Amino acid sequence: LRTKNRRLLQILLACIPAMALTIATPLANRVEPRIAGLPFFLAYIVLWVLLTPLLMWVVYSLEQPL
Amino acid sequence: VSAAVALGVIAVIVIATVLFGLWGVRNVKMSPQEFIVGGRSFGTVFIWLLMAGEIYTSFTFLGAAGWAYTRGAPAFYILCYGTVAYIIAFFLTPAVWRVARDRQLLTGPDFFTAQYGSKALGGLVALVGFVFLVPYITLQLGGLEILLHIAGYNTFDARMAVGIAFAVMALFVYAVGLRGTAWAAVIKDLLVLVGVVFAGLVLPIHFFGSPAAVISKVLERQPNWMTLPTTATPGGTVWFVTTVLLTALGFFVFPNTMAAVYAARSQDTLRRNAVFLPFYQLMILLVYFGGFTALLLVPGLKGPAGDQSFMLVVQKYYSPWVLGFVAGAGCLAALVPASTQILGAASIVSKNLFMDYGMVKTEAGSVTATRILVLVVSVLAFSFWFFARHTLVGLLLIAYTGMTQFFPGVALSFSRRLRPSAAGAGAGIAVGIITLAIFAANKTGTLAGINSGFVALTLNVIALFTVSALTGAYRRSGPGAREAA
Repeated sequence: LRTKNRRLLQILLACIPAMALTIATPLANRVEPRIAGLPFFLAYIVLWVLLTPLLMWVVYSLEQPL
Repeated sequence: VSAAVALGVIAVIVIATVLFGLWGVRNVKMSPQEFIVGGRSFGTVFIWLLMAGEIYTSFTFLGAAGWAYTRGAPAFYILCYGTVAYIIAFFLTPAVWRVARDRQLLTGPDFFTAQYGSKALGGLVALVGFVFLVPYITLQLGGLEILLHIAGYNTFDARMAVGIAFAVMALFVYAVGLRGTAWAAVIKDLLVLVGVVFAGLVLPIHFFGSPAAVISKVLERQPNWMTLPTTATPGGTVWFVTTVLLTALGFFVFPNTMAAVYAARSQDTLRRNAVFLPFYQLMILLVYFGGFTALLLVPGLKGPAGDQSFMLVVQKYYSPWVLGFVAGAGCLAALVPASTQILGAASIVSKNLFMDYGMVKTEAGSVTATRILVLVVSVLAFSFWFFARHTLVGLLLIAYTGMTQFFPGVALSFSRRLRPSAAGAGAGIAVGIITLAIFAANKTGTLAGINSGFVALTLNVIALFTVSALTGAYRRSGPGAREAA
């Protein structure tokens, strides 16, 4: 059962960036405010591309029992 | 003289890469296991290279810049889909790998044959996979043509050079198999990285001071360039979301990508790769900068001509040496992925049609058949390129919309309760492909703003469940099913 909970947590964590980069993208479809010179839409995508490996690292470490 | 210098640099780069690949496999004996899946011994670095090879093709190098140039924000889908694909890969590829190891799988269609116990389903997948790999290989040829045309300063017909370059690569794959192409990918990725940094950082800084300045200038001229239209049209928000989903799901079910998964040494290798590969995606951001810079410096390119974008800037403002180097990197980005795709297409027909149906009987015969098919596929892709002209984007979408139809059959095969029957999985793929054919016949890629491949995928899943239910896949509705729930 503990393995099952870990799996669920892994999937929930992985869903965050997956949703952010798919169904949530229309919400970020704006030019302003610009971040580091990038239009907001592009900055939003880049931010999630950077956050994904961090979140997935947590998902990866959940692969082994703590 | 300029053309000779630039083309000479390209020739040196391509030949050096081929020699490096040959050197990498000098002591390796070729069996089907070795030729197609590298003896299942690749560690993190080699798998990284093989999978990155899938992303950094001439589509990324030229196509992504071309889209940033001709369409703007819709091009950002490329940054999203690879990242989402790796998230899916984290969960999917280790499971696929376990099946591949236990059942000694060689090709993508083998997975269907093994999981569903159906040679016919494997054969269908091989056939569909073969058909949809051809446009993907053709895409790389289109990229090559653009690069050689520009490097030749438009002085000669690039088709001849494309033919030669392609023949060199086909013979290269014939000789070295998967391991050799992974070695070649080492050089390719290094050079492409340099080329992309040049296009995405050096060009913007040289002409405008910074990438941010380029973006401001683009927005001054075209205020809507960095956002999606909210209408139900190609390139709109609905199209964006459905295209990201479609291509992310399709990413790891390409037969050549499945073979790359089988080549991994362990499940852990695959998981670690899935975690870190998104960082590599950031190169694409630089490619966009290159496309935007080109939009300011050489405006007015329309449609497919946009794929030339930053290469034209390099041609116009830099020496032939620089042009040759950047174009050489681009040529490798076309040739190296093309070689794994050629190998993928050849091996699925050789294994899942010739071998599984007893037309080829020995292991040696199988390697020979695969090698001959490598040449056949090359000629087919070359003919398709020669006789039916498409844009790079058009070709990529043809390949992805078709290949993604395999996804439900792969993913659901691991489900205890929703596992389809072989007939169901086959019917799903067939319905998906027929839907795509109807879209193609009507010369449209969207329905109410939704990507046609996504529509096909939806009908695919409906057909899959319906036929599975009819053929009794879900009949075990006794106490066992309740326990599983």
